[in-house]
Amino acid sequence: MAVMRLGYAHVRVTDMAEAKDHYANTLGLYETLSEGNKAYYKAWDEWDHHSVVLEEGGVGLVKYGWKVQYSSDIDEIEKKAQAFGVTVERMSKGDNPEIGDGIRFTTPSDHVFEVYHAATLVGTEVGTHNPDAFPRHLVGVGVPALDHSLITAEDPGLMDRFLGDVFGFYATERVQTSLDDDADIIATWMTNSTQIHQLAVLAGPQGKLHHFAFRLGDWTEVGRAADLFSMDDVPIDVGPTRHGITRGQTVYFFDPSGNRNEVFAGGYLAYPDRPMHVWTPDALGKGVFYHARELNDAFTSVLT
Amino acid sequence: MPTVTIHPTGEVIHLEPGETVLSGLYKAGYAYTVGCRRGGCAICKVDCRSGEFSYNHPVADTVITESELDDGTCLSCRAVPETDVSIELRGENVRLVNRFLHTINDKARQRAEALAAAAVTSGTTHKEQ
Repeated sequence: MAVMRLGYAHVRVTDMAEAKDHYANTLGLYETLSEGNKAYYKAWDEWDHHSVVLEEGGVGLVKYGWKVQYSSDIDEIEKKAQAFGVTVERMSKGDNPEIGDGIRFTTPSDHVFEVYHAATLVGTEVGTHNPDAFPRHLVGVGVPALDHSLITAEDPGLMDRFLGDVFGFYATERVQTSLDDDADIIATWMTNSTQIHQLAVLAGPQGKLHHFAFRLGDWTEVGRAADLFSMDDVPIDVGPTRHGITRGQTVYFFDPSGNRNEVFAGGYLAYPDRPMHVWTPDALGKGVFYHARELNDAFTSVLT
Repeated sequence: MPTVTIHPTGEVIHLEPGETVLSGLYKAGYAYTVGCRRGGCAICKVDCRSGEFSYNHPVADTVITESELDDGTCLSCRAVPETDVSIELRGENVRLVNRFLHTINDKARQRAEALAAAAVTSGTTHKEQ
């Protein structure tokens, strides 16, 4: 395993005070650093210094950080990215607070990826010595961890190949124009572990964010999150509902700058040898929203 | 308390002080294509044909470009009218989807107009509460 997980999502927000209130008090993330126009957060069951970075000014994605298991993985990914035709630059320890050396490149989809091995260990909120099941005084939804993200790209098929060649990801599910071998890929859900997806790519404009998601345990927690969104006047995009694709249970909602977030629970275990699920356009509505069975207009048009 | 007139149908919607165009229209039973409702996706842009409004939050320059700041572009989820405004949607018309809410808004508008007229007749000026 090279890439272990989506380590951090770094996004722009128009109003830092409102954003902090949302991520800290509604979602329950812990602020680990506030410096200049940036604030850094981790969730309670995460151990590295941060998983969400907020930067004041604008809206949308700045970059993602991907954490690899061994420092040598960075060199291997660098070679593979270069072989794919991508220009890779080195980043130094401290370019991102509490994050070590690594590489940075822009993907064929015009998203900035950083790959790193070292991050300051802060520890989870329950520790490692005879840990309790969860912290007693969670705030708001109390999400345990960042889970995955969905981005848009003009050519999701190209990104499918890129993530396969460079990160060793495999597709667990795809939306294709047909079942033919030469069908176009409209969307792809990719991972390199048993997590059902770490990054998904949907056809759309280059360089855009569809959403980044936080993990929850089950339906009950998803429903409770939706209740809290009503209490805090968080606009709910869709849900609570289930995705046909991944089988996950979900609420899509927007942060105070209009970046889409998700809380996501469930999803079946992925394995590289499991036959990939393929969805065709006639069932796309059911694939995305399993109960409404219709794509709402916002799903494909609202991006930051 | 400003009103929003929808061009070309001429429907008039009453807004509460500080209320955005989007919020006012939805509360009055109308619907149109909107997205994040928080200023990020740019889906709910309309054209402001007359009147003044301001944005109640910082708006990203990727959402409203510099030229859109003074060409009548109105990001309706963040735009708070300062005077009565007239707006026109882009490529669609508002849909009245809830007559009950529309009736409530109509009554609020008539009441506000009656209060304003009474204030003029009695020579007093409207005081902010």
